[in-house]
Amino acid sequence: MKPFDIVIVGGGGAGLYAAMEAMKTNPALNIAVLSKVYPNRSHTSAAQGGANAALGNKAKDDTIEMHIFDTIKGSDYLADQDAVEVLCSEAPKIIRELENIGTPWSRMEDNTIAQRPFGGAGRPRCCYCADKTGHTILQTLYEQCLRKGVLFFNEYFALNLSVNGSRSRGLIAMNMKTGKVEAFPAKTVIFATGGYAKMYWNRSSNAAGNTGDGQAIAYRAGIPMKDMEFVQFHPTGLRKSGLLVTEGARGEGGYLINKDGERFMVRYAKEKMELGPRDLVSRSIETEILEGRGFDSPAGKYIHLDLRHLGADLIKSRLPQIREMSLNFEGVDPIEEPIPVRPTAHYSMGGIDTDNFGRTIMDGVYAAGECACVSVHGANRLGGNSLLDILVFGRIVGHTAAEEAGKFAPATISELELKESVDELRNRMQPSGHYERYGALREELGQTLALNVGIFRESSLLHKGIQDISGLKERFKKVRVFDSSDVFNTNLMQVLELKNMLDLAETVAVGALAREESRGSHTRIDFPVRDDEKWHKHTLATLVDGKVLPGEKPVTMGRYELQERTY
Amino acid sequence: MKRYAYYLSCINESMTKELDRSIDFWQKDLGLEFVKLHEGTCCGGSNLDYVSPKHFALVNARNIALAEKMGLDLIVSCNTCLMTIRTAKKKLDETPALKQEVNDILKQEGLEYRGTSEVRHLLWVLVDDVGLESIKAKVTVPLKNYRIAPFYGCHILRPSTVLGRDNPLAPSSLDQLIEALGGQTIPYEHKNRCCGFHTLLVAEEESLNVAAEALEEAINAKADFIVTPCPLCHTVLDGYQSKALKQANIDSSIPVFHISEMVGLALGYTAKQLGIKRHIVC
Amino acid sequence: MTETIDQHQEGKRDVTFRVFRFNPQVDSKPYFDDYTISAERGITVLRSLNYIKEHVDATLSFRAFCQAGICGSCSMRVNGISKLACTSQVWEELDKCREPGIIKVEPLRSMPMIKDLIVDMDPLVDKMKRYANWIESTMPLDEMGKKEFLVSEEEFHRYDKATDCILCASCVSECSILRANKEYVSPAVLLKSYRMNVDSRDSIHDIRLAELVKDHGVWDCTHCYRCQESCVKSIPIMEAIHAIREDALECRGPKDTSGAKHAEAFMEDIEKKGKLVEATLPIRTNGMIWTLRNLLPMAMKMIVKRRTPPPPPLVKSAKGIKIFRAMFREMTEHVKQDHQKSHKK
Repeated sequence: MKPFDIVIVGGGGAGLYAAMEAMKTNPALNIAVLSKVYPNRSHTSAAQGGANAALGNKAKDDTIEMHIFDTIKGSDYLADQDAVEVLCSEAPKIIRELENIGTPWSRMEDNTIAQRPFGGAGRPRCCYCADKTGHTILQTLYEQCLRKGVLFFNEYFALNLSVNGSRSRGLIAMNMKTGKVEAFPAKTVIFATGGYAKMYWNRSSNAAGNTGDGQAIAYRAGIPMKDMEFVQFHPTGLRKSGLLVTEGARGEGGYLINKDGERFMVRYAKEKMELGPRDLVSRSIETEILEGRGFDSPAGKYIHLDLRHLGADLIKSRLPQIREMSLNFEGVDPIEEPIPVRPTAHYSMGGIDTDNFGRTIMDGVYAAGECACVSVHGANRLGGNSLLDILVFGRIVGHTAAEEAGKFAPATISELELKESVDELRNRMQPSGHYERYGALREELGQTLALNVGIFRESSLLHKGIQDISGLKERFKKVRVFDSSDVFNTNLMQVLELKNMLDLAETVAVGALAREESRGSHTRIDFPVRDDEKWHKHTLATLVDGKVLPGEKPVTMGRYELQERTY
Repeated sequence: MKRYAYYLSCINESMTKELDRSIDFWQKDLGLEFVKLHEGTCCGGSNLDYVSPKHFALVNARNIALAEKMGLDLIVSCNTCLMTIRTAKKKLDETPALKQEVNDILKQEGLEYRGTSEVRHLLWVLVDDVGLESIKAKVTVPLKNYRIAPFYGCHILRPSTVLGRDNPLAPSSLDQLIEALGGQTIPYEHKNRCCGFHTLLVAEEESLNVAAEALEEAINAKADFIVTPCPLCHTVLDGYQSKALKQANIDSSIPVFHISEMVGLALGYTAKQLGIKRHIVC
Repeated sequence: MTETIDQHQEGKRDVTFRVFRFNPQVDSKPYFDDYTISAERGITVLRSLNYIKEHVDATLSFRAFCQAGICGSCSMRVNGISKLACTSQVWEELDKCREPGIIKVEPLRSMPMIKDLIVDMDPLVDKMKRYANWIESTMPLDEMGKKEFLVSEEEFHRYDKATDCILCASCVSECSILRANKEYVSPAVLLKSYRMNVDSRDSIHDIRLAELVKDHGVWDCTHCYRCQESCVKSIPIMEAIHAIREDALECRGPKDTSGAKHAEAFMEDIEKKGKLVEATLPIRTNGMIWTLRNLLPMAMKMIVKRRTPPPPPLVKSAKGIKIFRAMFREMTEHVKQDHQKSHKK
């Protein structure tokens, strides 16, 4: 195959924006987007709530400065302040740009883009399209990529980076339709593969494919992961499936109620109530449940998200998707009954360590979006900042790679290397005596993570988690692929995804054990307070000789000094 | 005697005259009286609604108002006319301004659309008003030796927000009628599919492919005949049958009946009386 | 009390999934495999398929991603109807089985098969490209991102429902015309085209419309409403298709396609006679030559059977046609005024 200037892995918001921007920056470049699903299927579509930008359409006195401060405070001061400044300053521009190319934003009475309040934000600055914001953004970006003739390799599963010392030669991937392993020699590779929170499996709101493929590939190539211990639990997952009920439900005025009929958030965030930041609301719900004030059912303990007082009209017009999901997956109509919810693993703050331009430590390798950690979310991401992150840094990384591709010599990937990848896959498909079922391992991984590396953490639990993960990794060696077909072998793909999750799970647990403090989404029962002296820093996890090598990195400060974080 | 206003569909006055004529034979037998609406006009045939939505509303408000003037429900025996007039009714009932505008014009003829008359299909009258038991009791020549493929057609089922009588995924009214007449319905995948009529003149090849599939399934299932509540479906499945089957390389044929003819047969009238000899395939 | 209800809800039923299988590498033709599992109330078809893949047959292949009804990956035919497996309740499907207790699962129709329940989506993407299913913005490049278009709530509502489309292709699979001709534009692409054409930010309305009225375009739809009925997001797709036609007649007149001429003929006849003049409809739609070539052989048979529509002079006008005509023309005046008003806007 002809060498590429840029190969983008992932076709969600970050990947598509990167492709668009790279083409705009230098139309002469040979750019490809690889995605294991059709790009319009990407998990960006599931983001319901919206994207923050200080447009000032709703609150005239909103400013970029306020957005910056809210984000830094929300991050529990672990975000890099220069990165946050980029995020928030670019926000109005990127929202308008999306508007200009067709995103159907909901509208204010004066015909400007509508904005609504969101957790942790001092002003109503979350721009939205009903409760399908991510879906409509993804559609817009996909449409524009088709318009510009972006070269897509749909349903390609990324396997490995081809590495030569400190430099990448490109990517090796499997064409799902044919089973063929193909080389994508490239001057630059951009990872935009989304998050890794699906490792919590049934206790996760994520798509089945959010298995951290890009992170795992980068990790195995020696690129450090950053702040992996920070996994955000969304306060309101559906009881049975873990699927998400967007924060929009609370933004529109929904109540959280315990079994005593009490709006319990009054005890945890008196002013903001249900609109407190996610980590706080998740911990509050979990505490209510742990202290016996939750409802009980065969499908687990839960509390109520009550929308009934909002009325049928508002629910139908503003929250139609939430109603539909509640009906489809819980059999509950929120117009008539409260929705049973409990916290669910939702977002991974950690990811591939990058600078503000999406560069990693390896020449020619970049990352953006949820799979990267710049870091703009620090220890906790604010609602409405994740769509913003993928858009802003997707664009930046596309631009950067387009500018820098010329620096690197064209690369080639040898037949030998390709053959090694093929052999590795073939080995998995050989029948053997005793074998393990990948499905069971996947479920056990989710269980041990939720139990031991979940919302409330503690040294002995974390040790248990690490031990479990290492046991699962051992058992994984015996997992067997039963489908011997070359054509669309989803059995093989799911096994490879499990491998990615197992590798990353170890970094999450190791990071969580190392960080002896409580900050943002990371809550240690044995270290209940934030310890700025020892832990105001990022953690790194690098793979060295098959083991996690912990490291650290300072937080970039700016005009905001450390403060206690209260709402 | 149950009285109804009966809408005269254009096609039943030209190509499928036997449909309305065959009703005349048995309406009294079943205690029905259909008062023909000679003042009624073409409904717009699922075309006028986008050519000119306002004319569409006017024309059909008038069609319904004529029935309302007599205090009767409006009965239709063409699926497309049914869907079209019901669509207009729904629009008029949901849009007071449109209703007002239309009524201002209708005044000239001394008419007013109020929304009091229902618009229903002949099939529904038979199954719901006469009732299956009463029909059974009147049958003199049960269709017991016949395997019958029920072809509902589209516009008696879809859009379900407008039609609403049968489940569009698993319709049953026509099956029930067949069984009440002593016939045997065959499992028929195409029962709720399309005949292709509305693109006959625009995309003939596609239309005939659609029709051929429906015919082929009935032929393969060894049905004795197809029955349809829609004269448009009948026109394609009967009139264009040889062309459709030729296009699909199928060397066979199958008769297609109107429901009015099927009822007539079971009540003892002859094929000749009922006009079945006028079909292209018989 | 609550507990008994919950226990009842968690009750189980044996369900057989009869699943379409085809692996092009080894199978010369498709076949069905039966998998019987115990399914609790509340379980979806997709979760059942996941269970089968994990516990019974790892070779069973299907797409699934978000599992929450928003990504559109897991569209397939369940009991004959195209829908999302992830939002289909097994117990509800049990009520719709042709054979009791057996839920039939098949791939979407009208798209090339790849393996088992997986079909090729590329033809759909190619059509989205052909019909420019994107906004070509009127915002000059150097002003991008600097200001917003002002868009009214009213305009937003014109395309709000249409932007719910998740491209699951259920409508594509159910479309009557697409089954007959794979070149046909397809309902999803018509819906998206409509959505773009009513967006004031777009600059290529006329070009898109010109493409839509060509062969295999908007006039080939046969109004069967199957697309709309099967839409997993309940989008009124036929309204979008009709709206494109209305737009085409208004912007381009009946000049370019037989479909448009055919539609206009209804307007003409109703005004003149209150009845459709069927005899000349083919000629007015497609011209004399087409009519003679295509319909003459059939017309002969019809003449023999006395089924021919009467020639125009013999078509009886509806009773009271004079006053009807006057009212019809009055409405024409209303429509003219409406147009003037909207153009002033």
